[in-house]
Amino acid sequence: MKMSQLLSPQLIQIGIDGSSKETVIQSLIAILENNGLVSDPEQAFLDVMDRELQQSTGLEKGLAVPHGKSTAVKKLVGALAVSKEGIDYASLDGEPSHLFFILIAPPNMAGPHVMALANIAQLARSEAFRSKLAAASSPEDAYRIIKEAEMGD
Amino acid sequence: MDFRTKPEKIMIYIEASEDSIIAAQYAVCLAKWFGARISAVYVVDIKTLQELTRAKIFVKLEEMDYEKALEDDGTHYLNHVRELAENKGVPVETILLKGDVFAEVAGRMKQDNIDLLVMGKLEEPESRRDFFYNTNERIFRRAPCPVIIVKDSENIKIMYDNL
Repeated sequence: MKMSQLLSPQLIQIGIDGSSKETVIQSLIAILENNGLVSDPEQAFLDVMDRELQQSTGLEKGLAVPHGKSTAVKKLVGALAVSKEGIDYASLDGEPSHLFFILIAPPNMAGPHVMALANIAQLARSEAFRSKLAAASSPEDAYRIIKEAEMGD
Repeated sequence: MDFRTKPEKIMIYIEASEDSIIAAQYAVCLAKWFGARISAVYVVDIKTLQELTRAKIFVKLEEMDYEKALEDDGTHYLNHVRELAENKGVPVETILLKGDVFAEVAGRMKQDNIDLLVMGKLEEPESRRDFFYNTNERIFRRAPCPVIIVKDSENIKIMYDNL
């Protein structure tokens, strides 16, 4: 599943409330909740944090992909938050994270979850894509950047 | 396939989706009419799981957990296809493979000399990248035999039920 199919401008936030991993994840889940995509935000938070305990999903080059399986969602859901300043997310390269893609899937939806994660991995390999997205001026702008990257432009 | 004869070996490419089940119903109808046998193939996409681990999005334990989940999905869908075929008296073999989806399906078609491939509807390609890299597009375009793409239709279920 492509990110443009999973996201919409309503599921993208420029700027994040919070300065720690926990508050970032809470902010991302709040986006999902505000769009009616999470029935139990606390459970969703615990499930995503459970995955964080295995290894930080703060990767390298400013990208973080918090994810997990949770009964708090009925289908695969996702949101994106962008922090221009960067947040200490205990990333693997020790650098601040700027792009936060959260993906949560019900426990029985492994296939679409894997394909959506693979889509993020593919897009985020491009430094130009990461830079453009980190500089997005609005949710609509961010969504357009994602869509164009998927089109191969 | 020798076009002077009817297809004898029909492969259904199965994904964990309702579209695949509709395609399977259609394939069972074709097999019944032609007196053909069916092989239903599902591939656990190990290649993508490994790429996610290399990209550090997955940890190794998570990769194994998802592999098991995808395998369970495949077994579930293949069992369903087996039932669909057996209910209509069509000989069926279910095959669960692991690896690169395109390579595994293409390899199996060649190995088994498949006469006809049946698969669920394709997503609308939005870019040249989709044409070249989308797995289902590649399977469709590079199959060494005729391919039938089954679009969602009420008629197929009726056709299957009335078989």
